[in-house]
Amino acid sequence: MNRRFIDWLWHVRGSLPLAPGQSRDDAFGRLDPLFREAGTSHDRTDDTLTFRKKGQGAQDRMSIFDGGVLQIRKGAAGLVLHYHLSSRALLFCFLAPLLFLGFAQLTIAAGKIEKATAHATAKKPEKKDAILQLHPIDKFLGAPAPEKPKKDKAKSEEDDKKPSPRAAYIFAAIFACLYVVGRVLEGRLVRSLFRKSLLGA
Amino acid sequence: MDGVRVGKRIIGAQAPVVVGWENIPRVEGGPLKRFVFTWFQPSLLFALIAFWYYAPNSIAKASTAIGIGIGVRILLLALEWVNPRHASWRLTWKELASDLFYVGLGYTLLNLVERYIGSDVVIEAVQHDFDWDKLAWFTGLPLLLQALLISFIFDFGQYWMHRGMHNWYPLWLTHAPHHYITQLNINKGAVGNPVELFLIGLGIGGFFDFLPRAALLAGTLGLAVGTYQHINVRFNSPRWWRFLFNTTEHHSMHHSQDYEATRSNYASTWIVIDRLFGTCVDGEAELLGMEGGRKMSIAETMTYPFTEGWKSLKERFGKARSAPVIAQPAE
Repeated sequence: MNRRFIDWLWHVRGSLPLAPGQSRDDAFGRLDPLFREAGTSHDRTDDTLTFRKKGQGAQDRMSIFDGGVLQIRKGAAGLVLHYHLSSRALLFCFLAPLLFLGFAQLTIAAGKIEKATAHATAKKPEKKDAILQLHPIDKFLGAPAPEKPKKDKAKSEEDDKKPSPRAAYIFAAIFACLYVVGRVLEGRLVRSLFRKSLLGA
Repeated sequence: MDGVRVGKRIIGAQAPVVVGWENIPRVEGGPLKRFVFTWFQPSLLFALIAFWYYAPNSIAKASTAIGIGIGVRILLLALEWVNPRHASWRLTWKELASDLFYVGLGYTLLNLVERYIGSDVVIEAVQHDFDWDKLAWFTGLPLLLQALLISFIFDFGQYWMHRGMHNWYPLWLTHAPHHYITQLNINKGAVGNPVELFLIGLGIGGFFDFLPRAALLAGTLGLAVGTYQHINVRFNSPRWWRFLFNTTEHHSMHHSQDYEATRSNYASTWIVIDRLFGTCVDGEAELLGMEGGRKMSIAETMTYPFTEGWKSLKERFGKARSAPVIAQPAE
């Protein structure tokens, strides 16, 4: 199977036409500062720039990418910059929901084991719940009095104590949303960064 | 760099820090902006205290606290966007995703582990084995006093655990990854090795019996004060606030690239504990991190205590075994 069918998940491709009359040297010269960030190395031939990033800083404007190729080729209407960038951060974010779904399954399994163990062990004698009272100062200031112990407390406590996979499901959903936002946002941001750099704005 | 003498120590000789409240910039902008960022912190704190003090029992529940916690964090993220303290701490998509990964670990895997080996489990076992009852007299105290004591006792434990982490190498190995963060944002408190997050969460609160409302009030102190440790917002915190409570300024100093500065401001909520033990340094830093601001990946954060621990063990015991024995002159 062609990897291209799936690698768009963490690869960003695009192209930008150069300004009329702008040479390859001028274009790469304007893009050059982007590849002089800490943790970035790059090689340049006549029409291709290859870069690699390791341990890139948080404020590096291309920090999401770990490597890529920028090529300036002749198009129908002049020179065009083609870029192909790869991002492990996007890939991990895409896979993160699976990890959290795994945690959810682990939590459910732990709950089942706990339930089985709880049934096997003898119930400990329940202590009588003391009726909690507010301090007179709090009564005077009007704070609501604590609830009296309920009769069906034991059952509700058992439900409360059971490990819940809800948080894991919520984080799986958060990362699914984050991935979609990141894939769209970062593609646009890097395009705008290249465009602004090429224009020298 | 000369640094500044604070007590017996020279702070800021290795990396830039600002020492002294008089040298810290104030919020800039129009009167409305300055008003908001001066009164936001105390207003939110007192509003939340009043809410938890008077909320009916049907609302005063842990689930409400979780909802409010998420809401406040979203509000603070918006404030980071509106009024960032430093452009160099700007929250990017990658930073947000990475921070949320650690937050997610805390709510899922770490929560599950704490169920079985957390401090509350140990305390319950101790109480069961020795047939101890919880300290029930605690529930008879006024609500706000209970809340203050719960918060202070927990923070006191955290202070010594945190100070221990900066002074004992095995504990430091678990805490070091947290010091590789290069900027402060709302969720950066969760960034670190899970072993550290487990250790810092240990407390002795389980020995006490307290009113549920008091626990919720204590939790709100953590939310409305402790959260400001890691935030990219400039506030004009009132004088009494920064005397009692930890602030972004104090915590940025603790995360500075200057070694001496990192050995200060250990408390989480109550900076007054640092004042009591002589470890408080009032000031701030923008340049944060370790090894000149080297970025630590998630993978390295997860493995660092073990790989570095193994390296240290090999250095200590491996060499001694293989090195030739050299006669030492008598002292």
